[in-house]
Amino acid sequence: MEDGVTATQVVFWILAVVMLVSAIGVVTAGNIVYAALFFIAALAGVAGIYLILTVEFIALVQLLVYGSAVVILILFALMLTRARERPQALFGRSRPIGIAASLGLLAALIGGIVATTWTTPATTSAIQPVGLQTIGDAIFTIWIVPFIIVGVLLSIALDGAIMLASPDEDDN
Amino acid sequence: MVLSEFAGISMPDWIDAIIRVMFIVALMTIIAFALIYLERKILARFQARVGPTRTGPIGTLQSIADALKLVTKEDVRPITADRWAFELAPYMAFVPVFLVFVPMPFTETWFIRDLNLGLLFVFGVLGLNIVGVVMAAWGSDNKYALLGGVRAAAQAISYEIPMLLIIVAVVMVAASRLAIDGDASAAGSINAIVGDQTTTPYLLLQPLGFVIFLIGMLAELHRPPFDMPIAESEVVGGYFVEYSGMRWGMFFLAEYTALFLLVVLASSLFLGGWNWPFGADVGLGLQIVLTFVKTSVMIVLVIGSRALFPRLRIDQLMAFSWKVLLPFAIVQVLANGIILAYGGADWVVGLVSFALLVALGGLVFYLMNQKKGAGTRTVQTTPATPRVITAPEVTPVEAGGD
Repeated sequence: MEDGVTATQVVFWILAVVMLVSAIGVVTAGNIVYAALFFIAALAGVAGIYLILTVEFIALVQLLVYGSAVVILILFALMLTRARERPQALFGRSRPIGIAASLGLLAALIGGIVATTWTTPATTSAIQPVGLQTIGDAIFTIWIVPFIIVGVLLSIALDGAIMLASPDEDDN
Repeated sequence: MVLSEFAGISMPDWIDAIIRVMFIVALMTIIAFALIYLERKILARFQARVGPTRTGPIGTLQSIADALKLVTKEDVRPITADRWAFELAPYMAFVPVFLVFVPMPFTETWFIRDLNLGLLFVFGVLGLNIVGVVMAAWGSDNKYALLGGVRAAAQAISYEIPMLLIIVAVVMVAASRLAIDGDASAAGSINAIVGDQTTTPYLLLQPLGFVIFLIGMLAELHRPPFDMPIAESEVVGGYFVEYSGMRWGMFFLAEYTALFLLVVLASSLFLGGWNWPFGADVGLGLQIVLTFVKTSVMIVLVIGSRALFPRLRIDQLMAFSWKVLLPFAIVQVLANGIILAYGGADWVVGLVSFALLVALGGLVFYLMNQKKGAGTRTVQTTPATPRVITAPEVTPVEAGGD
């Protein structure tokens, strides 16, 4: 088991470096399309971390939803802009607010991580992967109301998007 | 299949993994060569030609010749292209497609890995392919590439949804059938789904699913009649218009690999893969033959559709996905849910799905025979005035100028 643990740690550190570098890339890249591409790398890194944590389902959903749908939509919108010809200025007037907000978030996260008492399982084999059926049962029985609420919310968002995008009747 | 057991020798896991990767790459190259040759030949027959005949016996070496040409061709990068996006895009388009090979069952025991979430894996990984397409489109700094890329992204996202819903419907059927043996949680594994189709291929249980899957597959692969992203006549090749040499070849290889893998997936999900009609008891030799026969039939169908069906416009294409396929897919999932929750028999599931398929066919027939512009917002808002076309006055200087 010793070998396995070490290999997991190596993979973890590789993923951590990839995630950090791409996350920094997202905010520092002058070109907004690059930022979106770095974002994909960061999200893929998160999916990798999920894989290490043996929650394959979440990892695949991460790839499916963020990797292929959300980021593609972002890129889709960006491609139609003139981002290439006019790189945006990175820093504006709101810079101090941004710094304050990110430092505050960092402090909150570090505080949360330090304050939590982490329990370590005795062996890696003590970690029981949650089966897909368990997740399905939980979503569709215990958490069905939140699930429906999320569904309704998304439908409203979709309808709103259609309303905004469709041309006015007067135009015809 | 663990290769070390197969070869009768023991080897460390990482060598095993490397061998598997090499195996995939070699096999996929061969399959892409074969598919390109077949496409040339089959299309030629549809068009009353003979196709390639000169290179090798009945033209069988044509793909090798094509590949040699591609490899020796100069790799040109436009000076205004975005360097990183342009150079990395072929890999981003190529690698996810190859990963899809992992959970594909060719026989009962021949696969790279039998993933419990195999179906989700296929779509999760395959979706990343579009990132490469978008990178290529944006990085090329070419408006036709950009248009093609935008079309490809829109099309991929739109057709992914009905396809995934149909996969949900299939998994529902598989899970309830597998639950009889007490292992419903295996229904996400492609091999388990194939294993369930000993007597009944899912084509009989989910005919609507099969048809929607096929349509979605053609759209995901940018195959005609859904080739708007790469249409030569409209966007001069689409997102890979600026690519040449081996980078262009990688896009092509990715496309044919995806074609093969999705066809294997379709024949596994709906035609019973290695199982139906002989069952799992026959030897592995026959199982692989079965898989490849079904795959070949589907490939001929896919290639044939290029010659058989008229193409759509991009707006019709999007409307077809969102307004026709998506509602039908949702109704199929709902119907399956209701029938299976009340313990309906297999034939009920099949009959309802077939009825939905008939309804879909009827709707498509109705839409195609609809009077032009009726019920839809037409582009032309003012009555067309007849245009009088007069011959331009050609002066002798202009005529001889160019």
